[in-house]
Amino acid sequence: MKDINEKNEIDDKVILGMEKTSYISDGPIHNFFFKPKFKGFGQYRFSVMDAVFNVLNYFLFTLFTLACIFPFYYLFINTISDNSLTQIGAIKFYPVGIHFENYLALVNVSNLGNSVVVSVGRTVIGTGLMVIASGFVGYLVTKQEMWGRKVWYRFIIITMYFNAGLIPWYLNMAMLGLTNNFMAYIIPGIVAPYNIILVKTYIESIPAELEESAAMDGAGYMTVFGKIIWPLSKPILATIAIFGAVGQWNSFIDSMILMPDKPKLYSLQYQLYIYLSTNSNLKTLMESGGSISESMMQQALNLRTVQFTVSMITVIPILLVYPFMQRYFEKGIMMGAVKG
Amino acid sequence: MKKQQVKRTLPDYLLYILRVLAIFAVVFMFVPGLNPARMSGLVNKTLSLFTSGYSYGKLTEEFTRAVTKGWVEEGTLRLLNLSSLGGCIGLAIVAAGMCMSLGEIKLKKLGVGVTILGTLVATGCMSGLFTAYNAFCNSTNTDKVEPIFANGLIIILAVLAVIFLLSVIVFFLLPKAKKEDKFEMQAKFKLFLLLLPFIALTLVFMYLPLWGWRVTLFDYKAGYELTGDRFVGFKWFTYLFKNAATRQDIFRVMRNTLAMSGLGLATSWCAMAFAIFLTEIKAMRYRRFIQTFTTIPNFISWVLIYAVALAIFSKEGFLNSVLIDAGIIDDGILFLQSSDHIWIKMLAWGMWKGLGWSAIIYIAAISGIDQQLFEAATVDGAGRFRRILHITIPSLLPTYFVLLLLSIAGILSNGMDQYFVFKNSMNKDTIEVLDLYVYNLGLGSGGASNVALATVIGMMKSIVSITLLFLANRGSKLVRGETIV
Repeated sequence: MKDINEKNEIDDKVILGMEKTSYISDGPIHNFFFKPKFKGFGQYRFSVMDAVFNVLNYFLFTLFTLACIFPFYYLFINTISDNSLTQIGAIKFYPVGIHFENYLALVNVSNLGNSVVVSVGRTVIGTGLMVIASGFVGYLVTKQEMWGRKVWYRFIIITMYFNAGLIPWYLNMAMLGLTNNFMAYIIPGIVAPYNIILVKTYIESIPAELEESAAMDGAGYMTVFGKIIWPLSKPILATIAIFGAVGQWNSFIDSMILMPDKPKLYSLQYQLYIYLSTNSNLKTLMESGGSISESMMQQALNLRTVQFTVSMITVIPILLVYPFMQRYFEKGIMMGAVKG
Repeated sequence: MKKQQVKRTLPDYLLYILRVLAIFAVVFMFVPGLNPARMSGLVNKTLSLFTSGYSYGKLTEEFTRAVTKGWVEEGTLRLLNLSSLGGCIGLAIVAAGMCMSLGEIKLKKLGVGVTILGTLVATGCMSGLFTAYNAFCNSTNTDKVEPIFANGLIIILAVLAVIFLLSVIVFFLLPKAKKEDKFEMQAKFKLFLLLLPFIALTLVFMYLPLWGWRVTLFDYKAGYELTGDRFVGFKWFTYLFKNAATRQDIFRVMRNTLAMSGLGLATSWCAMAFAIFLTEIKAMRYRRFIQTFTTIPNFISWVLIYAVALAIFSKEGFLNSVLIDAGIIDDGILFLQSSDHIWIKMLAWGMWKGLGWSAIIYIAAISGIDQQLFEAATVDGAGRFRRILHITIPSLLPTYFVLLLLSIAGILSNGMDQYFVFKNSMNKDTIEVLDLYVYNLGLGSGGASNVALATVIGMMKSIVSITLLFLANRGSKLVRGETIV
């Protein structure tokens, strides 16, 4: 026993690069929790308290992370498991009877195809226009020589802090003919004050000389924007694009309020809400004329599976995109910390 | 840059008037109440001139029967549609001409010329509307076709006449352009014109709704026109306090709102604690992993969170299955249907969704703290907790303070998404927050909808919120010497 302990102590010293350390307690746990990368703050003291703290800390964070991941995993294993098991809630930790027919069967779910097209459309078009507009407006409001620059900038920005309320907003949209109209998803979102602030702040950090030299060569505002500002502000534009896209993809209240007579224009999220809140049986969800394929007959699709599968296709784009885009998200929130 | 004193002459002043009129003409296109194309009761009264122009289908929605019965010829409807379109184009040309008039002399003159052209186009096309009106009057069944002479036509024709006259005067008053002059515009106006479309969008979508506040003064039901006889003054404002049922509702809803916002405020330090403890995890890869996966729920919509809730907490859900397997319960518990502890549950969902995300700003703040402070403290013998207490927390407090002030300012605005998806017949009394109440009252499918009252409540909410924000800003200025917005 003694030998092992001694060995541990030596290993620790070597790994941690610490010379004279007073170990109050020692043990393998320190090897595990203090990785070599951590250089420590000079003399680092380990104590029982520290060990307990670390174990607890790791435990709680792992628990919370699991709580964040598990529901999606649970949804997923339920969509690929035997449907009769899924229905009674028998699938808990691992899939049983793996099959992927549920995803194919979605073709027959009423109105789902439309809503996917609507959601993808509004995400692509809406975000694209919003990014172009934010970039352009962000650039314009940095131009000191504009007539009434400050007034117009504030005119746009101040709308972040007040709104007339839900009903006047709805009445206004109805007055403009934007109810039951796909454009309702696109046009109101073009001017996004918060994103304009982000872009403006970013453009202000670009050296003015670049622009001046281009202007000397006779480039107009549009040329300067297209050839210099736009390429240089790509990082911030990517950031707002991702935020915008997530916002568009996730919104459902607008479908509910603005598209009362046009179920074909429901966004995927609202369509999902309808599936989730429906109490009726599965048949009403299925297209009346849709042919029920053989595999579906075998698998006996039920409400719970349909709900889960639609949820999965709604969440997959986010799950796929998020890990790669995380740095943009973080950049976004950090830039938001600077005030307009 | 030195400001140049420009001497203004008569044409300049006339141009100011012209521009105002041009703005009116543009707004005119979008106001349904002033639609000059509404020459028949069959034209939907929510249509504006613009919509009548671009959408033949919407314009003639209710004419199907009239056309098949032969009361109205299809040609008349086409005429109505095309005239509206032409009218819109004419008005747009007027607006474009007025934009050009911001330029230097040569461009200015051209702009005025374009304006004159625009008035002519618009007037010419509008006369088509009058022809359509005559056709409606001569219809074989005037009772069903209901010809109405739209007052909008007279208004816009008068405005066009004034624009035409003034433009002609300005055109001749303006000095002759020199030959070597170019079509130029000062940079300041050029930039302004580039921004103008976005200003217009902001105006239309953010400021124009304020006009909707006028329904608070009327006895309004969907589809009604706000005419004088429906004017009720401040009835709805007093109704709010006088009507016992409404008063009770407001009281209940305010209690829910304040309770849930209050719980949110009371737990707002959790994000800071999350960040502090997360940075105590020294294994970088693992920390990164935690951070990535705890932020994902923030990017999931509330509908999906409801889907997750169903999956885990419904009768056949994960939790019930596990509990039944473990022999703790015999039959599934309906967690989502119960109305117990709904405030706490909503808080928990909010935390699950937002905790990891709101911690990011603190994590960044922590990495911004000068490492020497920690080293010095360590040398002085401070342990982990002392360092957190005396270095980390004090450095984070300013950020926390700002965010806290902002959330106090937003205490009435919990949003309706979360509560909307989780509400059901069991919990609807305790889950209904102000935003959701306004929705239910104004737009909900229930028979008791009252648009005017809902607008009154929304309006008061907006005013209180902006006041709170203003106060929070003041508070921040007093305490930190820096404003937050």
